[in-house]
Amino acid sequence: MGKSNLFINGTKGDKAIVLGNEAIARGALEAGIGYASMYPGTPASEIIIALDKNKKNVENLYTEFSLNEHISLHGAIGASWSGIRSLCAMKNVGLNVASEPAQFLSYTGVKAGLVLAIGSDPGAPSSSNEQDDRWYSLHTYMPILEPSNIQEAKDFTKDAFEISEEFSFGIVLMAPSRLCHNAGALYFGNLRDRADIKGDFKKDPENYLNLFNMAVRNHTKYLERSELLKKYLIESNFNQIINKSSSRIGFISSGVIYAHLMETLDILGVYDHKILKLGFTFPLPNELIDRFFEGLDKVVIVEEAEGFLEFQIKKIAYELGFKGEIHGKDFFKQTGELTIDDVIIGISKFLEKPLPAYFDFAVKKDKELQNNLPQRSGTFCIGCSHRATFYSILKAVGFSNTEEKERDVVIAGDIGCYTLGLLPPYNAMDFLTCMNAGLGIGQAISIFDKKKKVIALAGDSTFYHSGIPVLLNAVQNNVNILYIILDNSWTAMTGHQKTPSTQKDIDGKPSPNALNLKDLVKSLGVSYVKSLDPNSVKRFASQIKSALKEPGVKVLIAKRECVLQEIRRNKILKKNEAGFSESGESLYEIQKSRCVKCNECFVELACPAIILKKDAEDEADFYYIDPASCVKCGVCYEICPNSAIRKVEFDLKPAFKLSRKNADKGFNAVQVNVNV
Amino acid sequence: MKKFNIAIVGLGGQGIITMGTVMKDAALSSELQDVSGSERRGGAQREGYVETFVKYIFYENESEMSSPRKNMHSPMIESGGADALISLEPLETLRGARYLNKNSIVIFNQTPYIPISVRMGQTSYPEISFIVSELRKITENIFFYDFDAISIENFNSLTQKNIIALGALFAKTDIPIDITAIENILMEGKGAENNLKAFNLGLKL
Repeated sequence: MGKSNLFINGTKGDKAIVLGNEAIARGALEAGIGYASMYPGTPASEIIIALDKNKKNVENLYTEFSLNEHISLHGAIGASWSGIRSLCAMKNVGLNVASEPAQFLSYTGVKAGLVLAIGSDPGAPSSSNEQDDRWYSLHTYMPILEPSNIQEAKDFTKDAFEISEEFSFGIVLMAPSRLCHNAGALYFGNLRDRADIKGDFKKDPENYLNLFNMAVRNHTKYLERSELLKKYLIESNFNQIINKSSSRIGFISSGVIYAHLMETLDILGVYDHKILKLGFTFPLPNELIDRFFEGLDKVVIVEEAEGFLEFQIKKIAYELGFKGEIHGKDFFKQTGELTIDDVIIGISKFLEKPLPAYFDFAVKKDKELQNNLPQRSGTFCIGCSHRATFYSILKAVGFSNTEEKERDVVIAGDIGCYTLGLLPPYNAMDFLTCMNAGLGIGQAISIFDKKKKVIALAGDSTFYHSGIPVLLNAVQNNVNILYIILDNSWTAMTGHQKTPSTQKDIDGKPSPNALNLKDLVKSLGVSYVKSLDPNSVKRFASQIKSALKEPGVKVLIAKRECVLQEIRRNKILKKNEAGFSESGESLYEIQKSRCVKCNECFVELACPAIILKKDAEDEADFYYIDPASCVKCGVCYEICPNSAIRKVEFDLKPAFKLSRKNADKGFNAVQVNVNV
Repeated sequence: MKKFNIAIVGLGGQGIITMGTVMKDAALSSELQDVSGSERRGGAQREGYVETFVKYIFYENESEMSSPRKNMHSPMIESGGADALISLEPLETLRGARYLNKNSIVIFNQTPYIPISVRMGQTSYPEISFIVSELRKITENIFFYDFDAISIENFNSLTQKNIIALGALFAKTDIPIDITAIENILMEGKGAENNLKAFNLGLKL
């Protein structure tokens, strides 16, 4: 449907299906932003991706994938002070990194509108915690907007810039992963004329200088501005009271949970209670709550996590002298994602209504089923060099997946694709918290536990995010630690944003400012630094072994580009050059006669392209490299202790056809060169 | 208001999100129509469980569409709330079975991708017959095909299996979306020729 064109050219009257994240980006575009930045993080990444990939066709738009959230929010503040409306996006934990600029933003205020879009991640499907960033606003005083659906995601974002300017606050737009990655219909609005988007920084010492009594004065000013905003919010359309009858029961909700609530009431056939839909969940005006409480005996607050609204509303109820009951977390759980199921169950209980029969049956049936299903966890992509890195680390420290013994080397985990190394079968991380905690926590462990060696891991993007000072700290304090930087040249996990390590763009263009990581590490004072190809697993494992014997800080750079990017680039280049793209020049196969099922490839390396098959005749299980999924990284070929894996090279691929039916017969077509 | 809810489950990398996107894009033909449905995408959860929801909503009239008690839709499907379930991996069909009721239609791919726990010998992978018998306890409307094999057979690649399954959905359910609407979306996208062929292969199942 030409979404990308509509995204930048659509006007009032146009309608399209877009992601929540794209709707936020479009709202910002309609508001006339000139600056957008983020450090990539699921579930928020597509907000800036959508703007970045279209920026060539949008006048006066600057986008940036910043090296971390602290820099990104400062950038947005600088743009705002230059008179440019700015959007900064991040994932939930990003605000921890950006909490310092966030803290100062209310003191100084904004010039042009500034919106901070936060992708929260209840249930933590792609995060290392499920913190509810709304609590920050109790001390940053940043107002919070919570859209409930795609349309509101766009409309609220657009309006947030006006409110930001009127009350001089950076506005938080909260979008949980269920909204970021919801897709639905969006009615576009008009775009602002972009020709006049030009920066002009005007000095404003009264607001921008924070020190001593000037800081105290600014503190007073923002509390006053917050009161003004509260007054505005009593009548604004962001908060709605839906009233229908004389029912003495009321519901309060916001964001996606409000959508769960409304669908729940429809499923239960309940249409007669009073509802308060909060668009702004901070600050809350007492007068609005008072108006809602009128005539009610019982109120239930339907929200996720620990109960940010309940906390505020109970305080207001006390100030108002409300005599009715207020419920919330006694009906809705505090941890994990609050699903529509949880809302149906909670509301049924609260209203003392039976659950719908089909729903009750499905929930019970599911409980019964799940107990008997093998668990499934994610793993590295086929051909991912992180798999080779973890295999090498485990081999170097003499550890096998199938043995029960305790691994005596401490492996410090960190955030990125390689985090999946903590899952079976590798189980190769002993702790995992936030960005660059691995080396930081690992340093102290190495100081206090002299019996154990410590290996700390970090990806290139994580290292550049905030790892450099941590490494410098290890050097300054002469810590005994092996630091492995898994340099795959991209922020791969969030959709392949560039890092300072990126040498070549996806279309083959060299990056002008590509950094030599080895030189950087050397310049930080590390004398033991080597850069290796992790897919040469034997060499890599032996290097890890020798590095562990050395004192001080050792750095190994596992340097190999993310295989997905390599494949994509090869496809693009081949298509451009020769007009063909399908591969098929070589393949790896396991020779049944030689394979003794030692499990080195199947369990220790555990590449998903190596699968278990049944022989058609004697029903015996055998291991088989699925040519439809194998990307020919060759790691299994290198590690097979029985030389049972061979590389088969073909002349050209025209008549060659992959077929699983022929699997057990082997591939005999036009074979010209066999390496065993 | 009429609704038609579809849950799509399977593994990261199988094209489940693309399937959901195509289906949602096909929902713009009528003014009184809405669509909702979220995806569960992990970071790099290759081989991990992925699900996406497509919820088609058809309003009776303008006033229903503008009523706050009717026009807000959860991005999720409640347990037992799916009219159809598509699963691109046999075992994951059972994980997605929570969305089924006695009238739901199930379409699943019979090529297994074994989880690590099975690979390590800690658990065993259920037989297809067990999966079918468990599903039968919920609904009689079960269809399964080897979408992997059909994709390899026709395209020499696994990448078309999602669109073949999409065709099967249109063949086996009363999905209230025009086939031409899907075809138009496929025609505008990348790899249009293969996608149209794959969709039609599925339609004939």
